[in-house]
Amino acid sequence: MNSIEKNLNELNKLETLQQRSHWMNELHPLGKLFLSVLYIFIVVSFDKYDLVSLIMMSIYPIFGFIVGELSLKDGLYRMRLILPLVLFVGILNPFFDKNVLFYITSNGVIPSDLSLSGYSLATFTVIPVTGGVLSMITLMLKGFYAVLSAYILIATTSIDDICYALNLIHVPKTIVIVIMLIYRYFGVMAMEADRIVTAYRLRAPSQKGIHYKAWGTLVGQWLLRSMDKAGIVYESMLLRGFKGDFRIKKKKLKLSDFVYPALWIVIFLFIRWK
Amino acid sequence: MHTGIHGELLKIKNLSFSYEGDEQVLKNINLCAKDEESIGIIGSNGIGKSTLMKLLVGLYLDYQGEIEVAGHPVNKQNLNHIREHIGYVFQDSDSQLFLSKVEDDVAFGPQNYGLSDSEVERRVKNALEKVHITELRKKYTHKLSGGEKKLAAIATILAMEPDIIIMDEPSIALDPRNRKNLISILNEIKSLKLITSHDLDFIMDTCTRVILLDNGTVIADGKREEILGNEELLLSHGLELPLRLQRTE
Repeated sequence: MNSIEKNLNELNKLETLQQRSHWMNELHPLGKLFLSVLYIFIVVSFDKYDLVSLIMMSIYPIFGFIVGELSLKDGLYRMRLILPLVLFVGILNPFFDKNVLFYITSNGVIPSDLSLSGYSLATFTVIPVTGGVLSMITLMLKGFYAVLSAYILIATTSIDDICYALNLIHVPKTIVIVIMLIYRYFGVMAMEADRIVTAYRLRAPSQKGIHYKAWGTLVGQWLLRSMDKAGIVYESMLLRGFKGDFRIKKKKLKLSDFVYPALWIVIFLFIRWK
Repeated sequence: MHTGIHGELLKIKNLSFSYEGDEQVLKNINLCAKDEESIGIIGSNGIGKSTLMKLLVGLYLDYQGEIEVAGHPVNKQNLNHIREHIGYVFQDSDSQLFLSKVEDDVAFGPQNYGLSDSEVERRVKNALEKVHITELRKKYTHKLSGGEKKLAAIATILAMEPDIIIMDEPSIALDPRNRKNLISILNEIKSLKLITSHDLDFIMDTCTRVILLDNGTVIADGKREEILGNEELLLSHGLELPLRLQRTE
C-alpha cells in the first residue's frame, strides 16, 4: 500500500469514527464546537510560567480520549504532521530567557530567590530551571492540548455536523460551502494522485520515489485530471438539484447537549481562575 | 418527479452542437421518445452519445435546434424544472456518490428539492428497495463493491422519481452476476430510459428501441431486432453483432 492509499484509508477510518454510535458523537455539534474553541482559548490564555494549572487542563483531552473510547496512538499518528510544528514552537525560548526561576534538587524545589549558599552542594543535585525552559514546556503543552482537543472534535463530529454548527453561529454561507466542497473534493484529488503514482510505480519499479524530471508532468496531469473529475462530481450534484447550498439535517437539542458543555465550562473556569 | 405526462416526454428537433468552435459533434438530430420506452443509444467511441445525453439534462446550453423535456424547452430558465424530471446515471459511479453514507447520497436529490423529511425518507426507502440494496443503507460509499456502487448510483436517481432516466454505459466494469442483476432491475423500472452502451447484448436485454449514431447523426432508429440483427449496418459503423447473435464457425 502506498502512502497516498494509506492516507485515504486514514481519512476513511476517521469518517467511520465520526459515524459510530457513541454518546459523545450524538451530542449537538454546536456544543462540541463551542467547547473545543473555548478550551483552546482558555489554554492559550494561561501565563507562560503557569505550568501547574496547564497540567490540570489535561483533564479535558484525557476525558475525551478515555470516555470517548478514542485511541491516543491513532490520534497522535493522524496528527503527526501538525504535532512537530506545535511542539517546536517554543524551542528557542531557553536561549532568550535565561532567568532562573527555581531549582530542582533532590530535596525538593527551591525558589531562585532563596540562596543556595547555606546548602552543601555535595549533599544534593541542583538543576536550575530557567524561565525559557518553563515557557517552552507550557508552549508545547498549549499546542499539544489544542491539537488533541481539535482531534476529539473531529473524531466525534462529522464535517456535515461541524458545518451545521458553523451555520448556526452565522459563519458566512460561502465559507461553510467552501469547507464542505473542499472536503468532498479532497477525496477526489487524493484518489487521482493515488492512481497516477501507482501507474508510475508499476512502470518504474526500480525507481525510488518519483524522478524529479517526472514531477512537472505528473503534478500537471494530477491537477487536470482532478479538475475533470471534480467537474463530473459537480455536474452530478447539479443534476440532483444542488443550488449552491447543502441541506443539513437539523438536530434536536437534548438536555445532555446543555449539561455536557456547561459542566466543562465550570471546570475550565475553575482551573483558570482558582 | 413524475409529471403524469403520457405520450412524448422527449422531443429533439434539428439538434446540432459543437464544442466552442470545434467541428460539429452532433448534426441535425431529430427524435422523439414516449413514456415508458426503453431506448438504447449505440455507436462507436467519440461519436457524440455522451454529448447528446448531457445536452438533454442541460449541461450544455449553447446548442442549435430544439430540445424539449416533459413539455419544457431545455434552457437556462427551465433548468431546475427539467432536472426534476430527468435522472442521469454517470458512467463512473464514484463521481455520482460523493457523500459518506449510501442513505445520505440517496437523500441528496430529494432534499435539494425541498421535500419534507418524511417524503425524503419514503423516497430513500423506495429507491433502495427498487434496486434491492436496502441492507446497504447505512454503509459507507467507499466500502461498496463496483456492482453495489452502480446500484447505489441508480438509487440516487430513482429517489428523485424522474420521468426520464439516462444511463451512460451502465454495464461497464460489472461482473456477470451484477450485470444480470442490473438488467432485471432496469427492466422493472417503468420510466422512459435512455441507455448508451457498447455492450450490445446489454442493450438487447434492456431496450426495445435502438438508435444508432455515427459521425454526429442518427443513422438508424428502430426496433432492437431490426438494428441489432443487421450485421452489415453494425459493421459499417464500427460495431459488431451482439455476441448471442454471432454464429460460431
